[in-house]
Formats: sequence, structure tokens, C-alpha cells
Amino acid sequence: MPKKINLDIASVEQREQRLGTIIAWDGTTEELHKQSSYELRGQRERGAGCGGNCRLCELSGPFTQGSVCSEQMVECQAGNVRDAVLIQHAPIGCGGGQTVYNNIYRNGLVMRGYKAENLRIINTNLIESDMVFGAADKLRQSIDDAFERYQPQAIFVASSCATGIIGEDIESITDEKEAELGIPVVPLACEGFRSKHWSTGFDATQHGILRQIVRRNPTKKQEDLVNVINLWGSDVFSPMLAHLNLRVNYVVDLASVEELAQMSEAAATVGFCYTLSSYMAAALEQHFGVPEVKAPMPYGFAGTDAWLRELAKVTHREHLVEKFIAEEHARVKPKIEELKKKLKGVKGFVATGSAYAHGLIQVLRELDVEVDGSLTFHHDPVYDSGDQREDSLGHLNEHYGQVKNFHVSNRQQYQLYAFLQENKPDFLLIRHNGLAPLASRLGIPAAPLGDEHIAVGYDGIVNLGETILEILAHKKFHDDIKKHVKLPYKKWWLEQKDAYILAKHPELVKFDADEYRAEQERKEAAHA
Amino acid sequence: MPKIKKDKNGQTNSINQVRYGCALGAMHSVSAIPGAIPITHCGPGCVDKQYMSLSFYNGYQGGGYSGGAVPPSSNLQEKDVVFGGAKHLDQLIEASLKILEGDLFVVLNGCIPEIVGDDIGAVVARYQEKGVPIVSAETGGFKGNNFTGHEIVTEAIIEQYVDKYAQDKETKKKGLINVWSELPFQNTFWRGDLTELKRILEGAGWEVNILFGYGSKGVKEWLTIPNAEFNLVVGPWLGLKTAKLLERKYDQPYLHLPVLPIGAKQVAEFLRAIAEFAKENEVQTERFIKQEEKEYYYYLEYFTDFYAEYWWGLPAVYSVVSDAAYNLAINKFVVNQLGLIPGKQIITDHTPEKYHEAIRAEYQKLAEDVGAEVEFVEDGYIVNQLLKQEDYGHKPPVIFGTSWERDTVKELNGHIVEVSYPVSYDVVLNKTYIGYRGALTLLETIFTTAISQSA
Repeated sequence: MPKKINLDIASVEQREQRLGTIIAWDGTTEELHKQSSYELRGQRERGAGCGGNCRLCELSGPFTQGSVCSEQMVECQAGNVRDAVLIQHAPIGCGGGQTVYNNIYRNGLVMRGYKAENLRIINTNLIESDMVFGAADKLRQSIDDAFERYQPQAIFVASSCATGIIGEDIESITDEKEAELGIPVVPLACEGFRSKHWSTGFDATQHGILRQIVRRNPTKKQEDLVNVINLWGSDVFSPMLAHLNLRVNYVVDLASVEELAQMSEAAATVGFCYTLSSYMAAALEQHFGVPEVKAPMPYGFAGTDAWLRELAKVTHREHLVEKFIAEEHARVKPKIEELKKKLKGVKGFVATGSAYAHGLIQVLRELDVEVDGSLTFHHDPVYDSGDQREDSLGHLNEHYGQVKNFHVSNRQQYQLYAFLQENKPDFLLIRHNGLAPLASRLGIPAAPLGDEHIAVGYDGIVNLGETILEILAHKKFHDDIKKHVKLPYKKWWLEQKDAYILAKHPELVKFDADEYRAEQERKEAAHA
Repeated sequence: MPKIKKDKNGQTNSINQVRYGCALGAMHSVSAIPGAIPITHCGPGCVDKQYMSLSFYNGYQGGGYSGGAVPPSSNLQEKDVVFGGAKHLDQLIEASLKILEGDLFVVLNGCIPEIVGDDIGAVVARYQEKGVPIVSAETGGFKGNNFTGHEIVTEAIIEQYVDKYAQDKETKKKGLINVWSELPFQNTFWRGDLTELKRILEGAGWEVNILFGYGSKGVKEWLTIPNAEFNLVVGPWLGLKTAKLLERKYDQPYLHLPVLPIGAKQVAEFLRAIAEFAKENEVQTERFIKQEEKEYYYYLEYFTDFYAEYWWGLPAVYSVVSDAAYNLAINKFVVNQLGLIPGKQIITDHTPEKYHEAIRAEYQKLAEDVGAEVEFVEDGYIVNQLLKQEDYGHKPPVIFGTSWERDTVKELNGHIVEVSYPVSYDVVLNKTYIGYRGALTLLETIFTTAISQSA
């Protein structure tokens, strides 16, 4: 029996505890795969085997730049449910996310054919005295405000670093309000300091939805409905799944509360990225009997073929799938051959979330784009199901070959410099902000994949190829700006070949007052 | 019995549709000073949130040299909460000095260290003693918003850096003024605005320490703050606290002009008030006004045909939803220059209570014959309720507001000019809406918006 996801407690178990997640590592994808020992870890989750204490080595140095927190991921999921309200039980600074995720929400709505509208996130606005006396009444008031203003179908309550430290008892208030209001009032434990990686925030949202929104013991099954765990990306799954006579239930972003509730009635669950979908897909299978499609992710021919076949098998549509695959290959291959000619000799670098990066590298290699180096923001040595068919890194190595300069670097711009010097790519594929601005200042354009579905499936190969050509054309801008800006990093740092040198030799940054003064004087003299 | 009191507009503690950042958001006031770099001691998401909201999805202003993803951050974890994070900060500062090229470092903390009690002042002091240009600012997010944070940061730089490194704090240089005005990055147009503000002040004969943005000489300029003849506070309230500090500290008087000037009339009043206060530059001021007005009215004359006989209807009633500085400034301009009719005016920057009365009085005298009521509201839900309840007469209004007002404006079939954080549907480089040049741009924006909807 696999170790079950525990839905009995209100707080989600952190990703590093469940999966052994790390946020800094350096080597080749083959080494990382070997050290990850997906199979053994998967077995350990089954309560046998010898996973033992094989924690992945992790590099940790004295210098870090601003990262991302779990609460942001809660905002971009629970805050983007169409008929729910998210309350941030937090000081006003956490509310900055309202602006960011409103843009994502509005663009996402339009991309999916809904009318643009503002999202509904309410901040409880904690101040200094609340840190001393607690703020239970503020939370009650904000829940009441949410209910009166919007008549939501559910209210989510996100915790914050501040409420975590002062020990606010959010759960008892959400219980009380759920009984009073008659709709799910769902606490989400997502204090930024609790997990070293923000992807725990995805799990926190999904945990709350699984506990309090997904319908238990549904009276009907929808045998043609497939849960697609995604973000706000454009609707590329419906046309694809229609060939198998399947319908799509997109969750969590842009879904209604009812669409979340009906997840337990679906025939299967899929995702576009195991980093995002691992937790909920595994829990839906373990607790609600909805099978997770355990296959490589739908990127590139090999990945998409295997993914479709497994989906067809799980939903009993094997008779439809081979014809579809054959037709699709025939349809896109000529386009891909054309793109390959145009992309000949081009070198790319992927800098995104973990499993997603594995998928993107596959697509780049389908297009014959060279990929010597890439980075992911974190690495999960195993996903929640523990099933080896989901071993996305292993699939990459096996079908598309390894990546020799592979880095786990949690949005650390200062490290990217050395990575880019080593790899000298022609372009970057990115999600999340902060890295492309440095690449640009080095003359390297980046394709920001705001629509996360752009590279999915057979059309995804074509889409990504065309996107790269557009981005390469932007190079004129980046080459120009490169000549006119000064980077904030010192020459000493820019000359370092090893981006992880400080983790190995922290003594290098030891403060020397005389040296610092001499440097200041040299600077003064140069100015004069 | 509800424990949370509602104000007259129904506002509780809830803040929906935020209109400012937290005190830590003032890391932008640091990165706005050329050569200065913020070092942050806070949770892992704090820097990203403040940057992505105040700078990115606010005119897409960008991070520049030391903003965005550049600022060091301790990204505090559970162990820092349990054992304290002072040592972590110490390491981060040490590494930052080795990796980053800065003329001044400002250490800002977030909520976590403030609650667990990390003594960031003590950590920073060790570097100050060794001659490192570094200061500490306690900007725990629950202490207030980024306007408060801006004052904390400004004071920290003055007390811990300027006061220590300024070579001569006694000499006052005739004609040199320190300008305290818009909040960098929070005000989407601050870059262009400060450039224009500096231009008109210099045109009138003043030497200007603008302190933030392209027109500032950076940290070196800050060191001449004590030498200014006086401080000029432009806007209803922000900067007054700093001016009072400098009055005590360096015996500098200050002039407070609540109206950020837009258009010929306001700029002339503004420049004359300064000349009169200092009894200086009177001739140059008049010469400059004359010369600028010639250009301003050259363009305005050509605009007259449109404004006088455009057939298809132009908006008459307006509301402004913004920080106090822009709110009063736009009100003054559209009433006096265009003769628009004020509807609901809403200030959203958490203006300290003690300034409310003086600000209300300013709205009573927008023109000799025009006054308006102003509300102080921070919760966006209430803001939009107030806008929807307002009677705008037979024509849809023009709303000067934020991106949050887009839905309401659609509902009202009105026109939106985004002027206040967040401005997510404008890409802003050096655009200004103030002074002579900015006034013309504002006219272009208002009427382009209004007529582009007509057919």
C-alpha cells in the first residue's frame, strides 16, 4: 500500500518532508536522477525498500536574493477561483499580491473566453497591536465582509508569516464560520517561512480543496470527465481530449467551486506539470478513487504519445487513441521539419519550475534546439504517487538525453550570470520573473511562457518553435541595451566560474575592513 | 456585538484591492536613489511581492540597477524564526558587500524579524563602525504602509549616513533646495514628474536636490542635504515629517506647498510662492514663467478648436481616486484649466488623520467658485461602491483612478485614466502629468481616452 496523503489534519505536510525537495544543486541531469533514486523513494513510500536516509545533497551559501513564498502560490490558485473569496490573514504587505494576481486573473479569464473582472482577495490588514493581542475578530469581520459583499460559494483563508509566529488559531474560526454561513470556509496553511520552497503553496491550496470542497461519496460518476490540474493557460486540452470523447474539468484557477467539487466524479486526473499536480492527483486517487494518469508529461512526441495512451487506457478509450496519434504525427511533422531548419544551430536554456522544465527541454530537443544547460527553481526527487511512470527527469534522460550543466537555483539572479557565461545560449525559456531582466542585459532574449500550455502536446512543439523564432528576432533590442547598462555585481563575482562557490567556500566573503576601505578609495580615485 | 467598528462609509479592517504596499515596500525608495542598494531581512516572498506590485504591474517600471530581483534577501525560514535571524542577516550583509557594487546599502526588515526581535541595528552598527556606508531601517510590514516606510528610510539615511559623512553641515548654500515630493514607484509617473519638477525649479533659478531618480546625483547629492537653504515639501502631507526633522537637525526652514502643480496657472502660483518665501529669484521666476507660458499656450491654442467644438460629447463630471498628492493636483488642474465638474473625490493613501482637516480645506477652494468633498477610504470595495452610488448627471464620467476601477468604469460606461497605483494598463517610461509639459500630456490622455470610446 502506498503511504497515503493525510487529509485528516488541517495543515499540509511540507513538500521537503513529503518528497525530499531541495532548492540548490549542481551537476548533470543523470547525476541528479541517480541521486534522486526515484524508484527507491517511491518504494519507501510504499513502506518497503531502502530509501533510508538518502537525503539529496543540497548546497547552501551565505548569499540569497528575494525568492517567492507559498502564500503567493495560494493567491494564484485559491485567489483565482471564480466564485470564491480568498482572505489573507496578514499585514498589508502580503496584499501586494492582489495587484499581481489580479492581472493574471483578468488575462486568464479573457484567454478562456470569460469576461474580465477583478479578483476577490481581502486582506485583514494586521497592525502592530494585533501582533500583541491577536486578531481573531479582524478575521471574523473579513469573513463576514466576504460573505456579504460577494455571496461566494466558498471562502479560503490563507495564513501568513505574522499569524504563524503569533500563533493565530485560524482553524477554530474557520470552523465556527463554516457552521454559521453554511459554505466551506477553508483554512490554508501557507506561512512563507514554513517551507523552503513555494511549491508547498500549491499543495496547501489543494489540501484545503480536497478536505472541504471536493464532494465525498458522489452520487454519480462522469465517465467522460477528466480533471486537468493547471493554472490559467489557454484551452489546449479540450480539443485534444475531444478526440477521445472526453471533456475537460480545469482546476484550480478559473474554476468555479462546483467544478472543484465535481473532481471526485471524474474518470481520471491529468496535469501539465507534476510539480503542480502531484499532490492533488495522488490524493484524488487515494481518497476519492479517481485514477491519476501516470505517464510522462505531454511534451514532445514521446511524452505526448505515452501520455495519450495512458489516458486512453485509464478511460477505456484505447480504440480511439492510435488513430489520433498517427494523424497528429502526420499533421505536425512537416511543420516541425520546417521549424528545425530555421532553428538549426540555435542553443536554448530553460529556467522554470521543476517538472515543467523537464517537459520544455524535451520539446526543445524535438526541435533540434541544443540544450547544454538549464535551471529549475527546485527539485523533487519523487512525486506523491511514487509511481515511476511519473519520473519526469528519468524520462528526459532516457528519451532525449541528459543535460550536462543542470542547476537547481531558486530564482537567484546572481547565479544565472555564471550559468549563462558557461552555456552562452541564444535564448531562455522562463516562467516567474527576475531572471529574464539579467539575461536581457547580457544580450540574451527570453520567452516568458505566461500561458503555461503553450508547449503542451503536438501543437505545443510547433507553438514553442514559433515562439522561439519571434524571441530571437527581439535580440536586436537586447544587444543594444547590453552596451548601455552596468550590472550591479562586482567584477570579482562576475569572474567566478562556479555559481555555487560561496556554498563551498563561505570564507570567501569574509569581511575585511582594510580590503573594503582600499576598494572604496580606488573607487573614489576612479571617480575623481 | 461586532467587535470591529465600521466607519461612515462602511469600511472595516478589510482591505480589498490594495492601493499601497507595506513599510518594506520602501525598499523602492532606496533603489530610486542612484547607487543605493536595499538589503532585505524578511520572508522569502516579501521582496517579490513589493516589486511585482509596486513596480512591475504598476506602469511596468522595472527594477533598474538595484531593484527587482537584485536586492539581497535573507528569505527567512523556520529556524530563523525559532533561533532568531540576526546571524543570518550578518552573513547576508557580509556577502552582499563582496558581491554587489553600491555607494550606500540600506538594510530593511520585514514582519518576521520585527516580531521575533532581531536587533538589526546592532548587526548593521558593526559594519558602520568599520566605515561601511550602510544604514538600518525598521520597516516591519505591520508598522504601516510604504508611505510610512519611505519616511522611516529617509530618516534612517539622514541620521545614519548623511549626518556621519557630510563634510560640511553648517554652510547653507543660497538657492539650493531639497525637494520632498512624490513617493517613488508608488506614484507610477514619479520619474517623469521629478524630472519636470526639477526642470521648472531650475528654470526659476533654483539649484535642486531632487534626491530620487535620474535627475539625482545619487548618494553624493544626499550628502549636500544639510547645505540647502530650505526644504520644499510638495504635496498634501508626505515629506512634512522629514522637513521637520531637517528643521530640527540642520536648522533649515521648510516651505510646504500642498498642490503638486499641473498646468500654467498652478505652476506659476507654485514658483511665485517659492520665490516669495525665500525672497529670492523673483526676476528669474517671472522670466521663466513668461517663457514657458508662451510655449504652453501655443499648444493650448491649437487644442482649443477640439475642446470648443468637438461634436460627439466630452465628459463633464469627474472623480479622482488616488493618493493625496495626485488627487489634489488633478482636481486643481481639471477644475481650473478645463472647467470640469467634481464628483466624488477619494484619497486612498492612508493619509495620517492629523492632516485630514487641512486637506479637506484645500478641496473647499479648488477654485474661487468651486469646492468639493473628499473622502478618505482605503478599501477598494468601498471605493467602488462610492463611485457607483455617485450621480454623474446625464453623461458618463471620467474616472482618474487605478486599474481596480476598470470594472466600475465599464459599468458606468465612463472613461478611465489610470493615474494611481496600481496602473496595470499603461506602460510608463518618462511620462509626466505635472508641470507645464505634463499638463499637456494629461490633456492628451484624458481626451484620447474619452473620444476613442465614441465610435
